[in-house]
Amino acid sequence: MKCKVFLSLLFFLLPVAAAAQNSSLPDLSLKDIKGRQLRLSDYRGKVVLINFWATWCPPCRAEVPYLVRLQRDYRSHGLRVIGITSPPQTFVEVRGFVRKAKINYPVALGTQQIKALFTPSELLPMTIVIGRDGSVQDIIEEILLPEEFEQKIKPLLHKPEVLYQASRGPLNRPIRRIR
Amino acid sequence: MRKSLVLTFAMFLVVGMSAISVSAITKKVTIRVEGMKCANCSGSVKKALKATAGVETVEVNHQTQEAVVEYDDEKVTEAKLREVINSTGFKAVNE
Repeated sequence: MKCKVFLSLLFFLLPVAAAAQNSSLPDLSLKDIKGRQLRLSDYRGKVVLINFWATWCPPCRAEVPYLVRLQRDYRSHGLRVIGITSPPQTFVEVRGFVRKAKINYPVALGTQQIKALFTPSELLPMTIVIGRDGSVQDIIEEILLPEEFEQKIKPLLHKPEVLYQASRGPLNRPIRRIR
Repeated sequence: MRKSLVLTFAMFLVVGMSAISVSAITKKVTIRVEGMKCANCSGSVKKALKATAGVETVEVNHQTQEAVVEYDDEKVTEAKLREVINSTGFKAVNE
């Protein structure tokens, strides 16, 4: 009997615990290098890849063309990439690289504190995968491989956006379509 | 009697051939990798190599700037391994 009560309790508490974990997602707000305001809550309903990178990091630079391609090819499926740099990094360096690499997604100068909101890891590059419901679905350490995109990110794009638009969850704001 | 002799011989042949083929196709190569300045950097090289079909073991050391790879040479070539390293933003150097 005790065992049954415990199991029932566990059954009800597990989703609550999962929801609590998801609600820890910060509502990040910062300006990109073009001066546009970036708010994570504005991306609700999209699958968001927050890519922490730096111009001085060779794997980060190597990964950029792939991210550009993903943003181009999967934008219509609801994928959005956001680049946030890791210090030490100057505005001029980043702007120069963004232009040269023809980066087609917003890039903002970041800090260690911003990265620490998502992960204590110091690895670069690092990609935070956020699902349409606004929760962190995965943290991909180091260079993003095509098979990781296929296995971990693409399935999230198959979930319909509309299901999450009316919901109130961790970010707790109405959805607005951006860009 | 004759049948069992043939079977035993066939079994030895199969086991022997597979042992020969296993030892023949696993190769080990040490590749010098330029540009790895920190442990955080070498992780991407290791990750990309490990994800390559045919690669069995990978050790990457940023201090010696080397990647030691054991691989099945029927599934992957050394040239492909170098290509994978280069795709991570570093440079596989020919020595």
